[in-house]
Amino acid sequence: MARNPFTIWVSFFGLLIGLMLAAVLLSGRGWLFGEAPVPSRPDSLRIVSLAPNLTEILFALGLQDKIVGVSSDSNFPPQAAQYKKVGSFWNPDVEAVLSVRPSLVVTLGFAQQANLAALLEKAGCQTLQVDIDTIDQLYGAIRKIGRATGSQESAERLIKEIADGLEAYRGRAADCGRKVLWVVQRQPLRAAGKNTYFTELLETAGAVNAVQSAVFQYPPLSEEQFLLTGADVIIETADSSDDWQRQKASAEIFYSRFKGIPAVEQGRICIVDSDLLCRLGPRLPLAMEAIVNCICSQKLEQGKPQ
Amino acid sequence: MITSRQLLKEIGFGVGGLAAVVLLCALIGSEPLSLEGIVKGRQPDAQIFFQVRLPRLMLAVLVGAALASSGAVFQVLLRNPLAEPYILGISSGAGLGVMLAVLAGFQWSWGELSAQSLFAFIGALATTALVWWIGGFTGRTGGPGMILAGVVVNVFFSAVIMLLTALAKAGQIQTTLFWLMGFLSSYTEMKIWVVSVFLAGAGFGILLWLSPQLNILSLGTAQARSLGVVPERLFPIAFIAASLLTSAAVSLSGLIGFVGLIVPHSVRLIFGPDHRRLLPMCALFGAMFLAIADTIARILIPQAQLPVGVITALAGGPFFLLLMIRQSKPVYGGGL
Repeated sequence: MARNPFTIWVSFFGLLIGLMLAAVLLSGRGWLFGEAPVPSRPDSLRIVSLAPNLTEILFALGLQDKIVGVSSDSNFPPQAAQYKKVGSFWNPDVEAVLSVRPSLVVTLGFAQQANLAALLEKAGCQTLQVDIDTIDQLYGAIRKIGRATGSQESAERLIKEIADGLEAYRGRAADCGRKVLWVVQRQPLRAAGKNTYFTELLETAGAVNAVQSAVFQYPPLSEEQFLLTGADVIIETADSSDDWQRQKASAEIFYSRFKGIPAVEQGRICIVDSDLLCRLGPRLPLAMEAIVNCICSQKLEQGKPQ
Repeated sequence: MITSRQLLKEIGFGVGGLAAVVLLCALIGSEPLSLEGIVKGRQPDAQIFFQVRLPRLMLAVLVGAALASSGAVFQVLLRNPLAEPYILGISSGAGLGVMLAVLAGFQWSWGELSAQSLFAFIGALATTALVWWIGGFTGRTGGPGMILAGVVVNVFFSAVIMLLTALAKAGQIQTTLFWLMGFLSSYTEMKIWVVSVFLAGAGFGILLWLSPQLNILSLGTAQARSLGVVPERLFPIAFIAASLLTSAAVSLSGLIGFVGLIVPHSVRLIFGPDHRRLLPMCALFGAMFLAIADTIARILIPQAQLPVGVITALAGGPFFLLLMIRQSKPVYGGGL
C-alpha cells in the first residue's frame, strides 16, 4: 500500500520546515538565536504601554524615560516612535513585551489585552488594567497610572488640564445649536450612539448627538433611521491630511443620496483627524476644538488638529 | 499487514520527529532568544521559552493530534471523504455555547475552568447528541441522513449565532469572533489542561482499541456484519469517542479548520487505511503540522499574529492536492 512512506514523510515535513524557515528569513527578524536582547538598566520602573492613548498619557505624565516599549500604533508624540514596538493594540505580542523585561505593563480591559495581562501576571510581571470608555474613566485611569508610577501630582495636574481644556469650550457650539452625527463606518452605516464620550463632548459644547439610541454604543443605522436623525453636521475621521481630501470627496458622493438631511443639503460634512477623535487621552481638548470648529464653521471646512 | 514491532518502531520515529519539531519551533519566534540564556534560566529568555512558547506549542500538539485523529474516524464512520471533525454541528454548537456564555456575561470559573471553555465543550457535545438523535430517524447509522442533519443543524445554529450577534455589544462580539477564528493561546490554566488531556486521551484510547473493528467497518456495513462486527454497537462508541476528542480540542482553541480534513487524508495516502497505524500516525502528523503552522503564523508578519487557520489552509491545501494527484488510489472503496 504505502509507497516509500518515509520519503513522503520527509518531503512533507521538509517542505513545511522549509516554509517555516523561509518565513523567518522573509520576516527579517526573529532568527533562531540572537544576543541577549536587553542590557540591564538600574531603573526600577520599566513601563510598557499597550495602547496609543495610554502612551500619550504616560508621556503627558512625564514618564517618557521610564517607558521601555509601546504598542506599534503609538504614534504620538512623535518621540514614541523610537521605543521598542510590542505588537499592535489589537494583537499584542507577549514575547516582545517580556523581552524588554518590564516592571509595569499598562493595558486596556478588552479580551485580547486581558488575556495577555493574565499571562504576564503569571510570568511574574506587574500589570495595570484600565478601562477608558468615558471621560470620567479617563480621569480615573490617569489617577490610577499616576498612583502606580509615583506621579500622583502630575496626574492631578494633567486631569485638571484636560478638564479646564474641555471647560473652555463649554457652550461654544450652543448658538450653532446643531444635531451632530459621528459616522464611524459608512457601509453598513454605524454612528456613535448616546452612551459615548462623543455625546459628553457634544453636550459640554452645547450641541446634541443626533443619535439618541442607547442600546448600543456604536449602533448600526438603517438608511431610514439615518434620514430620521435630521443631522445638521456629519463628522467622519481620516488618518492623514492626504486622506482628508480623498475622504471628503468620497463622502460627498456617498451622502448625496440622502438629500433630506440638513447636513447633506448644506454640505456640512466634516473630516477630523482620527487619532484625535478616536483616542480618549490627553489630547481630548484638541478633539473638542476640532468638533466645535466643525459645528460652528459656516463654511465647509476641516476640523483642524492643533 | 504490519507487525506490532514495526508499528512501535514507526511510532517511536514519529514521537522523536515530533519532539524535534517542537524543539525547533520553540527556538523560533518574534524575539531572538539566546540558547545560553534558556539553559541557564536567564530572564527574559527562559521566561519566553518556557512560559510563552512551550505552552502554546503543547496546545498546538494536543489540538492537532485530536483534530486529525477524530477526522480520520469521522471519515470512516460516515463513509464520506469530506467528513471532518466539525461536520456534525460541533463547530456551530460550540460557537453557540461560547456566544451564550459571553452574552450572559459569565466571567466566573469553576476552579480554574472558565465558563467559556465549559460552555464550548457542552455546546459541542450537546449538538452532536442532537444530530445523532435526528440522524436516528433516517434509519441507517452513519448514512447520509446524519450528515444532512449535521449540515442543517450547523446552518441553523450559525443563524442563531448571527441573531445573537445583533444583540451583543462590540466587546462581546470581539471575544466570540476571536474564538470562531480559532486561536492558540500561551495562557491555558492547569486545570483545563488536565481535563482536556484526560478527555482527549480517553477518546483516543477508545478509538485505538476499536481500530481493528473500524478496519472491518471500512469494508462496508454488510461485510462488517458477516465478519462479526455489529455496526450498530460499534458506531455509537466510536462516535462518542471521536466527539469527545473534537470537543476537547474545540474548547481549548476555538475552531481551527482544515487540520481534521487534510491530515487524515495525507496520512491515509502515505500509510494506508489500516486504523491501527492510521490513528497514531494521524495524531503525530496532526500535532507536527499544527505546531509548525502555528510557528509560521507567529512569525510571518512581525508582531501581528495571524490566525493559525490561515496557515493550515495555505500550506496544507496545495500540498494535499499534490499528494492526491500523485498518490491517488481508491482507498475508500469508492475512490476519492
